[in-house]
Amino acid sequence: MSGAEIARQDRIRELARQALTEGKVDYFIGWKAGHVPSEVIPAFVRNVDECDMLLWNPLCHHNLTTFLKRKMPDPPDARIGVCVKGCDSRTLVALLQETLVDKERLYVVGVPCDGIIDRRRLEKAFSDEVIDIAFQGEQVVVTTRGGETKELAYEELLLEQCASCDFPNPRYYDDLAGELLPQPEGPPRFPGLEEYEALSAEEKDRVLADAFATCIRCFACIHVCPVCYCWDQCVNRSRRPALVGQKVAAKENLMFQMVHMFHVAGRCPSCGACDRSCPVEIPLYLLHRKMNKELFEMLGFQAGLNVEDKPVFQTFNIDDALGEQ
Amino acid sequence: MTDSSGNVKIIAIVCNWCSYAGADGAGTARLKQPYDFRVMRVPCTGRVDPLLALKAFEKGADGVLISGCHPGDCHYSEGNYYARRKFELLKRMLPHLGIEPERYTYTWVSASEAARWQQVVTNFVTKVGELGPRQGGAL
Repeated sequence: MSGAEIARQDRIRELARQALTEGKVDYFIGWKAGHVPSEVIPAFVRNVDECDMLLWNPLCHHNLTTFLKRKMPDPPDARIGVCVKGCDSRTLVALLQETLVDKERLYVVGVPCDGIIDRRRLEKAFSDEVIDIAFQGEQVVVTTRGGETKELAYEELLLEQCASCDFPNPRYYDDLAGELLPQPEGPPRFPGLEEYEALSAEEKDRVLADAFATCIRCFACIHVCPVCYCWDQCVNRSRRPALVGQKVAAKENLMFQMVHMFHVAGRCPSCGACDRSCPVEIPLYLLHRKMNKELFEMLGFQAGLNVEDKPVFQTFNIDDALGEQ
Repeated sequence: MTDSSGNVKIIAIVCNWCSYAGADGAGTARLKQPYDFRVMRVPCTGRVDPLLALKAFEKGADGVLISGCHPGDCHYSEGNYYARRKFELLKRMLPHLGIEPERYTYTWVSASEAARWQQVVTNFVTKVGELGPRQGGAL
């Protein structure tokens, strides 16, 4: 782990300790070690002496703002501390824009982020069980149960979206854990779409039919999504209206996902939490990243940039020049 | 009616105040129209969730036409201003979902534009008729 990463981790612990000691928050949400070395999981820290379990490393992929979206925190008037990366902060801003979370009860620790590792890709690179992952500068040292040790380049393990990250710094925070990183220049990037976009209508139909045939409707993508918050009122759970059929087949499954996509349009910054949570690895980025690309081309809109902004579908411009006929 | 292919199913989602009245006017004036479309009347285009169009495709529609009041003429002042952003996103997403762009359009037809309604549906039905029925596996 680089010096900057360690400094961020120390600062997260320090800020959490401070917030809990001063009584600024009832609990603090960060990341902690999971049950296997390649997994980091969310942590709810309630006591000062638990602060040392908080972690920061390139495996901290969870978007913790998802725990804020339930409008009824436990207890309802809880004051919550939360860590956010650049992409996570955009989902938080989207929630704040719609006043779905109470700014006054939040304490936000922004974590500048160099990029998160694609844990699935890392694990797939080994036939054996990974028992240790160590971060040494630009290298990731992986040890397997069979005793094999391999050094992999950190850059090459990054999630596709992190390799072309537009917002390494949080857009909203109360305190910062570490120094701000240089802000990338240029228009936003939407990687990983070119190959699919070049297909014909028929081929796209086939790719989607194949991908969505395996969906098990576990709702992981929806529940993990920080900006998809209808819970029991979700039309995907409803038989009236019967927008989504009960049958678990490609068509119904894609419709299920379209409900998610269209309902988060304008809030979704493509943080990728849905992709990472999908147990059957459906390439959901094909949908949400494309949607954001089109929204940017349409109206120059990017979700969750400033708290004062209006979400794109909750406002309009009389002079919108769109493609109606 | 020669301009209907007769082999496609088209769903026309129209607002109560302008396009439905326009279509009604076209009927009253006995303007020749294709018969391959089924009209779904909604109170305002602002009520139209893009998912309704997707659902129509999922259920086997070959084309979806959405029509409402001209911008500035909405019965509820601003419903169609909100709606057109959603319709445009849908228009851009449909080709991505493997549905040919010609199979979807959104437009504005006022209550007094019976002739325009006739022209809009005739053009749309002709275009979709040329593509023929859909064989979608995904939607």
